[in-house]
Amino acid sequence: MFADDEINILVIVLDVNPIWWGQQAQREPQFTLSTCLDSLMVLANAHLVMSRTNKLAVIANLYQKSHFLYPSKQWKSGDEISTSSDGKYELLSVTNDLFAEEIRNLMDRTEVSGSHTDSLLAVSIAKALCCILNLWFMQIAGQDVKSRILVIKAAEDSTLQYMNFMNVIFAAQKKNILIDACVLDADSGLLQQACDITGGLYLKIPQKIALAQYLLWVFLPDAEQRSQLLLPPPVHVDYRAACFCHRNLIEIGYVCSVCLSIFCNFSPICTTCETAFKMPLPQMAKTKKKKVKTAN
Amino acid sequence: SESDPNLISSESYLVLLVVKRVRQRKQDGTLYLMAERIAWGPEGKDRFTVSHLYADIRCQKISPDGKAKIQLQLVLHTGESTTFHFANESTALKDRDATKELLQQLLPKFKKKANKELEEKNRMLQEDPVLFQLYKDLVVSQVISAEEFWANRLSLSSVEHSISNNNKQEVGISAAFLADIRPQTDGCNGLRYNLTTDIIESIFRTYPTVKQKYSENVPHNMTEKEFWTRFFQSHYFHRDRISTGLQDIFSECAKQDEKGLKSMVTQGVKNPMVDLLSLEDKTLDEGYGTATVPTTSNSSNKSLRENSNSAIIKRFNHHSAMVLAAGLLCVIFRDAPSDQASETSSTDGNSRDSDFFQPPLKKVKLQEAIEYDDLQGDSGRKTISLNLKKSDRYSHGPTPLQSQHYTTSQDIITSISIIQHEMRSYKPRLTQVMSSSAASSAIIALSPGGVLMQGGAQQTINQLVPTDVQSELKHLYMAAGELLRHFWSCFPVSTPFLEEKVVKMKSNLEKFQVTKLRPFQEKIQRQYLSTNLTGHLEEMLQAAYNKFQAWQTRRMMRKT
Repeated sequence: MFADDEINILVIVLDVNPIWWGQQAQREPQFTLSTCLDSLMVLANAHLVMSRTNKLAVIANLYQKSHFLYPSKQWKSGDEISTSSDGKYELLSVTNDLFAEEIRNLMDRTEVSGSHTDSLLAVSIAKALCCILNLWFMQIAGQDVKSRILVIKAAEDSTLQYMNFMNVIFAAQKKNILIDACVLDADSGLLQQACDITGGLYLKIPQKIALAQYLLWVFLPDAEQRSQLLLPPPVHVDYRAACFCHRNLIEIGYVCSVCLSIFCNFSPICTTCETAFKMPLPQMAKTKKKKVKTAN
Repeated sequence: SESDPNLISSESYLVLLVVKRVRQRKQDGTLYLMAERIAWGPEGKDRFTVSHLYADIRCQKISPDGKAKIQLQLVLHTGESTTFHFANESTALKDRDATKELLQQLLPKFKKKANKELEEKNRMLQEDPVLFQLYKDLVVSQVISAEEFWANRLSLSSVEHSISNNNKQEVGISAAFLADIRPQTDGCNGLRYNLTTDIIESIFRTYPTVKQKYSENVPHNMTEKEFWTRFFQSHYFHRDRISTGLQDIFSECAKQDEKGLKSMVTQGVKNPMVDLLSLEDKTLDEGYGTATVPTTSNSSNKSLRENSNSAIIKRFNHHSAMVLAAGLLCVIFRDAPSDQASETSSTDGNSRDSDFFQPPLKKVKLQEAIEYDDLQGDSGRKTISLNLKKSDRYSHGPTPLQSQHYTTSQDIITSISIIQHEMRSYKPRLTQVMSSSAASSAIIALSPGGVLMQGGAQQTINQLVPTDVQSELKHLYMAAGELLRHFWSCFPVSTPFLEEKVVKMKSNLEKFQVTKLRPFQEKIQRQYLSTNLTGHLEEMLQAAYNKFQAWQTRRMMRKT
């Protein structure tokens, strides 16, 4: 069957910023990190069940570090696998158990720190790309490998990760890896760009408690299947650049021809590379106007 | 005015030849050959009843020698033909031949022009399917005339053509042109040679002496036919050039050729890298290659066969050299004298002197062989390095610099402890992930018309409208665009020509709207397509009509 020739890799990147999740638990007790993890597990199980050759990886992004929740280093084949009581497909029960154990350990190890509390998703996405590449090299000749990364974003964007994030996005685009984004709280311009550039789907969900439904409906189908389905249309991405002086998003600005830095106002010296520019002479504009009049 | 032969413009007055006593359709009359046309009028009358532009004539035919009736027939491009019978008893043949020769000179000039234009138009239509479609939409359905359609387009390409004509490449000479003549037996021990103008031109360019003889003798001493007959009979043309005495006018040519060949040999080859003298038949051993022959130029030692062989080889070499020289001569005349290719021009013994470059040539050639331009080092341009003071600015993305929510350290501690507490006792409960009401509200939001599906409606217009309707709309836009372009280019209306054109274009636009746009609108209405596909087109047309209206009222006011 053709299905055997195709490998579908799904890497889930979950933002487990404990500060945000802790605050979320206080805001909305029905939807906490546990519920989110459960929903993700449902998605993961569904993906594995769709086809024998589907592959899964789950990465938790804690501040500026990333941890593999699945596949886990802890699991050594040959270990006793506790058979679950509900007769589940063994792969799924093993997956779930490992997943749960890893996240428990991870959160246990978390230290309280006041600094570096930003979630830098670029780190985890980069790890995800490496993981995909790894799986890629293991493929048998003739197999088609399709991969995508699903990012569950909780906390806000950090300004520190811009360059790395963009590099990661372009790397993914080059390798035809889709980046999907499921946003729980605040919209993220970077993820919008990532989805637009790589061809993935960006969705900000209105109801967090129905996360599982959104995941199964929108993010479970792979790229090919999505073309057959009616899914939320792509968002309008704001590609405006930010000026270097105020970080305002501008549509028309001045660009230094030497260092390519963008400014919202004209200044005679570029503050980045210290090149001096001549002021535009007002007299030139007048003669131009005169010429235009005579032509008419 | 071109179709009426009796309206004579000042150019047409230039009559080149008048032939009396020419009958056409059994009527006596006079034949006139003018600058651009040929015309015939019956005896006694002032008007022309037959008139053809040279451009319309495809070819002329003459009745064979020996027939009683001496006739000349003109075949037009359309297929019709007109026959003229030269009826003057004494001079009929002369008249006919004079007419024929004049036509032979005139027809080619006009033929090229007409064909070229048609060819150009056909080529443009074939190469560009968009243009072809536009042509079909506008001209075939008679919205605008073909002239208007081609007015702008041909002017562009004819400009290119005139430029290219000035730099027309010279046609080269085939080295085998003499062999191409291919004599055929006449049936009775004679040979028939077919000479075309191309071959004659080749002979003249390659052998200037023959050209000289031709200009000396024809037409004073002999006719062209006689000249060529003699040429082919003479031993100059034939293989063995044994001179038969001084009666042959071409014996001088043979002598000059010998002289030319000798001078070529003495001049030698200018390229210092080529050593011709080392090219000789060498033998390795007995049985490999020819036996060593003493290479003395003592002609008495050579056998008869060797003599004739060397004569042929000499003639071949000379012929090739002449052909090359004739081709290069035009290059020299056109290009600047500082041309390094001129080294080969000295191979023609009869050409001008052009060995300016003796010593430096070798040096240049050696340098060319050992140096490559792109491998040379940098010319050492002074570069200024980029000096960035605040390079961290680049790493800030479009995310604004505003600070995030300020979280107190107490908040942090509280949050983390909550999470740790929660996770310690985490166990997946996959059967109770969400309530059914939550799931169904999510499904509603994701279904068409739901909260999350709003932006999609815009995409579906091109899915709603069938592709044939879309392509027809595209054609309409192209056609309308073309007409509107003609219309708007008339403003400001400064000449009477533009006035006429603007009125005509307005009526063309109205014609277009009636013949093309309305049926399309009706068609899509019948298909129940509610989207307004033609609104913009109508707006454009309306804007044109308004402009025309305004211009017209202004013109009326100015006149009153």
